Amino acid sequence: MRSGSSPLRTRRWRGARVIPLIGLALAGWAGAGELFVICNAAVALQPAEIRDTFVGEKGFVGAVKLAPADNSAIQAAFLEKVLKVDAAKYAGIWTKKSFRDGDIPPPVKTSDAEALAYVKQTQGGCSYVGTEPGPGVKVIARF
Amino acid sequence: MIKQAGNTARGLALAVAAFSAIAPIASRGAGSEGEQIAELKQKLDQSLKMIEALTARVRQLEAAQPASTPTAAATAVPADAQRIETVENRVAQMEASNAARGGDSSSLPMHGFADVGVANHNPWNPDLKGYYVGDLDFYLTPRLGTHTKALFELNFETDTDGSIGVDLERAQIGYSFSDAATVWLGRFHTPFGYMNTALHHGSWIANALRRPAFLNFEDHDGILPVHTVGAWLTGAAHGEGGKLLYDVYMGNGQRISGGVIDMRNAGNDHGQLIAGGRLGYQWTEGAAEGLQFGLHGFSSKIGDDQVPEHNTQLRVVGGYGVYDTDRWEHIFEIYLFDNKDVSGNGGTHKSTAGFAQFAYRAPFGVPYLRYERASLQQADQYFAQQAFGASYWRAAIGIRFDIDPKSALKLELANTHVTDQTPNQIQREYDDALAQYAIRF
Repeated sequence: MRSGSSPLRTRRWRGARVIPLIGLALAGWAGAGELFVICNAAVALQPAEIRDTFVGEKGFVGAVKLAPADNSAIQAAFLEKVLKVDAAKYAGIWTKKSFRDGDIPPPVKTSDAEALAYVKQTQGGCSYVGTEPGPGVKVIARF
Repeated sequence: MIKQAGNTARGLALAVAAFSAIAPIASRGAGSEGEQIAELKQKLDQSLKMIEALTARVRQLEAAQPASTPTAAATAVPADAQRIETVENRVAQMEASNAARGGDSSSLPMHGFADVGVANHNPWNPDLKGYYVGDLDFYLTPRLGTHTKALFELNFETDTDGSIGVDLERAQIGYSFSDAATVWLGRFHTPFGYMNTALHHGSWIANALRRPAFLNFEDHDGILPVHTVGAWLTGAAHGEGGKLLYDVYMGNGQRISGGVIDMRNAGNDHGQLIAGGRLGYQWTEGAAEGLQFGLHGFSSKIGDDQVPEHNTQLRVVGGYGVYDTDRWEHIFEIYLFDNKDVSGNGGTHKSTAGFAQFAYRAPFGVPYLRYERASLQQADQYFAQQAFGASYWRAAIGIRFDIDPKSALKLELANTHVTDQTPNQIQREYDDALAQYAIRF
């Protein structure tokens, strides 16, 4: 019995780890294209102000200095859906903005988890993620 | 694996035996019944022996590795779990570390622009022709903190005589109170018109190959103080559908030395100031999105290096308009001078300068047209003492091709008429054909 049941248990254990992964993949597939713009819980940004925030035209909400960050994992979708520009134009906008006004382009995070961590730990932090962000941040808009 | 092999072998053996037993019956209808029974018995014996041999072999194989697999599997479970947990912890640490990079105070982004070209008349000195080196322009925007920011621009440029000069074009440190108020101290682009702050150095930024001649930099025969050393308050008040833009500034009064406007980087020796402002409105939504209008004005008491020295109260007012969208880029600016000779009895002199530029952002490139004109009173010592203070007009047509997101090729044809005869300029007309390769990095 021992020789027969242990492999089965191993398979069940592996299955227990694989099933949630499949679930996550399916969830990601089901929500494909969904995008959440998030900010630090202390930031009261309006959805209409998202564009200005990410192109450097809006730097403050009240006394809070905004600190937007890009998320390279879904940046292309964000630029297309929210800012309505392509990557080349976005880079050009920031080149001009930086050269004219001394402003610094948003830092680039490489995953949802990184963007989420940045927003949570940065006062004025804002970014965007492709999955439900959960508690600890404010969802400004969902696209 | 071993157990699975055993089951397979047994199955094969039974199949072989059954086939061996049935096949002769099916295929042979002839012969005596006794012979057939004997033959069947023989084959059955052979099959049984084969089954026994295979069964023995299977047992032998099973005995060779009896319980190793389940043990390994049993120990692998916690080992895998531990490894995965370690990896997850490391990933979480990396994410937290990367997430904090945005606030890294040691980063020093440095970018810049450069351009080279060829022309039958140099863009800034029509007496020269051939290949030319334009600017190598670096700018730094150090990350300083929440409210403090800085901008330094160091430009290696070819002067009108062909020598290479190095200028600290901008050196400004500022404090942002809010979107509505940032105070800069240092050397900055004097905020008048649109082009002087939006399209200054860095040829790549502008669609046109060069600035209007009267808006050239001081050391490229420009006639306006395009840089100021002083203090500058600037900001924007966001409202429904647009924003109000304002600038107020004051700084060291400039001086004309050797025919060139000197912005007095280290301070001046006469306590004279330049003071001015700009007020504009930009539509950011709706049908007028991209449209911007503004008014500007400044005053400065400007001396020169003549003996006796001339002092002119420079008084300039004007306006500008911009229509900048994904499709169009139109710009116009006007400057009205009402300069007063304050060192003699020269009285006041009225002059004008302005330009209009129209550009279309087509898929293949950005063609543009520009007309510029300066009508400058030569009795006004402010213009008379400058290397290029003559009246002129220029019509230009050009096109910009974006080769990739960081480089552009520009071509321009222009016709220029210098309409005043001055000690530094002769009346003349010439046609330009220019090409420029501009990059950003």
